[in-house]
Amino acid sequence: MVFIIPAVFIAVFGFAIYKKVKIYDEFSKGVGEALQFTLSLIPCLAAIFMMCEVFEASGLSDALTNLLSPVFGFLGIPPELTKLVLIKPFSGSGSIAYLNEIISSYGADSYITRCACVCFGSSETVFYISAVYFAKTKSKKLIVPIAAVLIGTFISTVAACLLCRIM
Amino acid sequence: MNAIFTAVFLLSVIVMTAIAPDKLLSTLLGGGEKAAATALTLFCIYAVWMGLSRLAEKSGFSRVAARGLKPLSRRLFKTDNDAALENIAMNLSCNLLGIGGAATPYAVKAIGELEKDNNDFAQKLLFVINATSVQLIPSTVIALRTSAGSGAAFDIFLPSLICTFISTAVAVLIFVGARKLNRKKRAGK
Repeated sequence: MVFIIPAVFIAVFGFAIYKKVKIYDEFSKGVGEALQFTLSLIPCLAAIFMMCEVFEASGLSDALTNLLSPVFGFLGIPPELTKLVLIKPFSGSGSIAYLNEIISSYGADSYITRCACVCFGSSETVFYISAVYFAKTKSKKLIVPIAAVLIGTFISTVAACLLCRIM
Repeated sequence: MNAIFTAVFLLSVIVMTAIAPDKLLSTLLGGGEKAAATALTLFCIYAVWMGLSRLAEKSGFSRVAARGLKPLSRRLFKTDNDAALENIAMNLSCNLLGIGGAATPYAVKAIGELEKDNNDFAQKLLFVINATSVQLIPSTVIALRTSAGSGAAFDIFLPSLICTFISTAVAVLIFVGARKLNRKKRAGK
């Protein structure tokens, strides 16, 4: 598994040499594209991050956590995971910090940790991805796709808590 | 997106005005700072992968590599735009291999291509698939557990695989279903 990334590099470089591509020139041009791409992301990224920060700082995210914990518990999601489940769609760095906290306080092989890992591994930072993907498109009507993703993620979270109990 | 942003932002600001009005500006600046830091991290990731993916594109490597997933993508995404299909196929393969950093630039390129055809359906479907995560091996969490001293870091592999499948399948079904319903409604009027 650790060999996947090196193997991809060797294969692409090897093929490029075989096809006589000017490797340094093209690689640098690719990096140039990355620079432009990153710059084009910054406006949406900054707006989304400000929203997330103020949502967290206002205590609304904690209030939502407390409000939803019993509902989640009813569906088999342990209360320790409520915050992780709620943060993940908004913030990758925030949720990984929270996941680390769960791992260190409950131990690497506990039910809570395994559950948290499965939830984390099978979901994505939805709002961030939507900002990146649709930064340059005209249509920004994303309610239906975002709702579909959030529902799908939530159902898989319920499944994760169930599967970790029996597997 | 405009509605969600306005609602969450405004509501949070109102609550903050009530509990800690002096903290509002510093919180917002903190968000901007985080965005700048994230952009720098992202640039490093994309610099590596977009450099490599340009090599793959120029040498024809991606055309060959994408061949396997292209017919399936053509049917799923209902498009005949070759450049878009190639980028979609590469995006899906990178996701399956667990190289998320490489997958995102391909998705954005594909969405740019689809924009030319006004193919709203394919753009959003690609988003739904990517945003529900389609990786085969959850390498990040396995690494985290291993470093925390787990005795069996791989035991979450199977549940993760099942869950990642469930989330993508459910989200795609809802998305496609909602679209069909919408179209019927419009046709009815």
